[in-house]
Amino acid sequence: MSELKDCPPLKYYDFKPVDHVKVCPRYTAVLSRSEDDGIGIEELDTLQLELETLLSSASRRLRALEEQRQILTDWQDKKGDKRFLKLGKDPDLAASSRHSKPKKQKLDGKGSHGPGPGPGRPKSKNIQTKVQDFEFEVDPQEIPRNPKNDAPNRFWASVEPYCADITNEEIRVLDELLKPPEDEAEYYKIPALGKHYSQRWAQEDLLEEQREGARANDKKKSIMGPLSELDAKDVDALLKKSETQHEPPDDGCPFGPLTQRLLQALVEENIISPMEDSPIPDIPGKDDGAGTSPRSQGKAFSVPHTRSLEARIREELVSQGLLESDERQGVGGESEDEVLAELQKRQAELKALTAHNRSRKQELLKLAREEMRKQELRQRVRVADNEVMEAFRRIMAARQKKRTPTKKEKDQAWKALKERESILKLLDG
Amino acid sequence: MALVSADTKIAELLNELHQLIKQTQEERSRSEHNLLNIQKTHERMQTENKTSPYYRTKLRGLYTTAKADAEAECGILHRALDKIAEIKSLLEERRIAARMAGVYSDTDPPRKTMRRGVLMTLLQQSAMTLPLWIGKPGESPPPLCGAIPASSDYVAKQGDKVAARVKAVDGDEQWILAEVVSYNHSTNKYEVDDIDEEGKERHTLSRRRIIPLPQWKANPESDPEALFSKDQLVLALYPQTTCFYRALIHTPPHRPQDDYSVLFEDTSYADGYSPPLNVAQRYVVACKENKKK
Repeated sequence: MSELKDCPPLKYYDFKPVDHVKVCPRYTAVLSRSEDDGIGIEELDTLQLELETLLSSASRRLRALEEQRQILTDWQDKKGDKRFLKLGKDPDLAASSRHSKPKKQKLDGKGSHGPGPGPGRPKSKNIQTKVQDFEFEVDPQEIPRNPKNDAPNRFWASVEPYCADITNEEIRVLDELLKPPEDEAEYYKIPALGKHYSQRWAQEDLLEEQREGARANDKKKSIMGPLSELDAKDVDALLKKSETQHEPPDDGCPFGPLTQRLLQALVEENIISPMEDSPIPDIPGKDDGAGTSPRSQGKAFSVPHTRSLEARIREELVSQGLLESDERQGVGGESEDEVLAELQKRQAELKALTAHNRSRKQELLKLAREEMRKQELRQRVRVADNEVMEAFRRIMAARQKKRTPTKKEKDQAWKALKERESILKLLDG
Repeated sequence: MALVSADTKIAELLNELHQLIKQTQEERSRSEHNLLNIQKTHERMQTENKTSPYYRTKLRGLYTTAKADAEAECGILHRALDKIAEIKSLLEERRIAARMAGVYSDTDPPRKTMRRGVLMTLLQQSAMTLPLWIGKPGESPPPLCGAIPASSDYVAKQGDKVAARVKAVDGDEQWILAEVVSYNHSTNKYEVDDIDEEGKERHTLSRRRIIPLPQWKANPESDPEALFSKDQLVLALYPQTTCFYRALIHTPPHRPQDDYSVLFEDTSYADGYSPPLNVAQRYVVACKENKKK
């Protein structure tokens, strides 16, 4: 064992150079030529191949020599250090290679004695594996140059805005947002109710027809002459008549809806109550009047002050708590208008949403202001930190020079520490 | 007149090459003695079965000398090979210039009338003489050496051989062996000539459709990592054609002058692959596309 340890793991490579006379005939031929004969262009290819063979062999030899020489040097160094270093250096690897490889090599050498072709083969194989090993050792040094990866940078850049300090600019933007927009009123406007579409259409149709008729008249004029003018007048009169006839059904009843409802309620109560209790002879007559009422007789009795009556009734109902005050305000009893209802609903929604947003913005502004204040404090903490460090360094320097720190330095240090403490307290509070 | 001056230049270079070769041999015979010495020392150490400090010191000295010798030999061989490359590039320049001018010299007959067999021999020869890359210890092979692809911004030079993906008359896409005529930097397009029908067909192709062929052979003995490995998918020039087809590496070369043995995708065989065929390192390139043709 000890004998084996003394033996360096040499490979005893076969360093025999390439026999150019056998392997490189063209090269040999060129060598024997005189200067005048020179080399022909057509010989270049063959020469190139032969030179490559020589170079390949030489560079292989170069690598093997370097490797073997290194082994010898290392081994000698280890010997010199009484195997002290050897333990420090890869003991396992060195030991295993020393145990296995040289032994085989020795057996080989004993078996076939001398550098015949037999041991030559495994030797050349050894070169290859060894060369690979060598290159693997070199590789790790080259691997670390990784491709550049800027993903972390991009990530931090994207996160930055969320962590950055709040600036005055941002507070200003918030203030701006809190101002009520100028066009707010626009969204709460309720446009005046126009004419009902059926009426408008009817009128449009009529006008259309009139125009048509006028054109037809123009054509006929030459024939009919003055008669056509008469016709036009007739049409106008007819139109007016029909309009006046149309109107009554629209507001046949002079009473407002509240008045009607109240009256209805009272009348129905009378019906429900037993007849015997109120044997009033007038009822049939009155009932008749009420039953046929608004339509046929609406015009007959024109009641004055219906509007004020309606208003009075509402007032009374509201004060009695039977009617909510805003419910019908401004609507003028036309609450059945679904467009209006929808509009009001949306406006209410909008109002709620604006209010919510406003409160949120205010909250945000408050938080931002608070944060600004803290930021300022933090800035001051940093300054104070630096001061403390500065004082520390000064005292340390003094201590290194083996002199007690001066009173001034001490005072400064204490001042810096106290200031820092107070700012921190502020920040926590 | 330019041709004449080029001729004299070439003659000069050939002369220099001759000198270099002679120097090489001097260097080699000088180191031979030392190598013999090493061998003898090895033998003696092995017979004695012991490594005395004397032998170790001696061997170390011998190794150091032999290493210096080998370095010198490598240096001069590199210079000789560079010289050959220089001469060859001069010849190539002359060929391109002649072709541009429409003049054909005797040594370079018009390709149009070249017989197929001659073309094939020429292609094989150019594959054989593709220079072998031999680096110094620790140096890794450059792009375009063996299987190592060109850098993404590489632009093939005029006269370089490339694999080019062209549309044939029947609409099929095919990788052909072609020679670069020019490269347009503004459109990023190559103009290439089909090697088989030079002058007849000129293709304008985007650089995506061009794969430059290797400019050095990788040395399997020193840089096996620069070779395609077994079962890797490649494009290889089918023997006796000028077209590249998809193939799997069967065995990589073992020595610098060896060819790859590849299995071409071929549906006429039961297992979908042809029996192993030899293709030179120069005509094997990485297969980029994944889809079947």
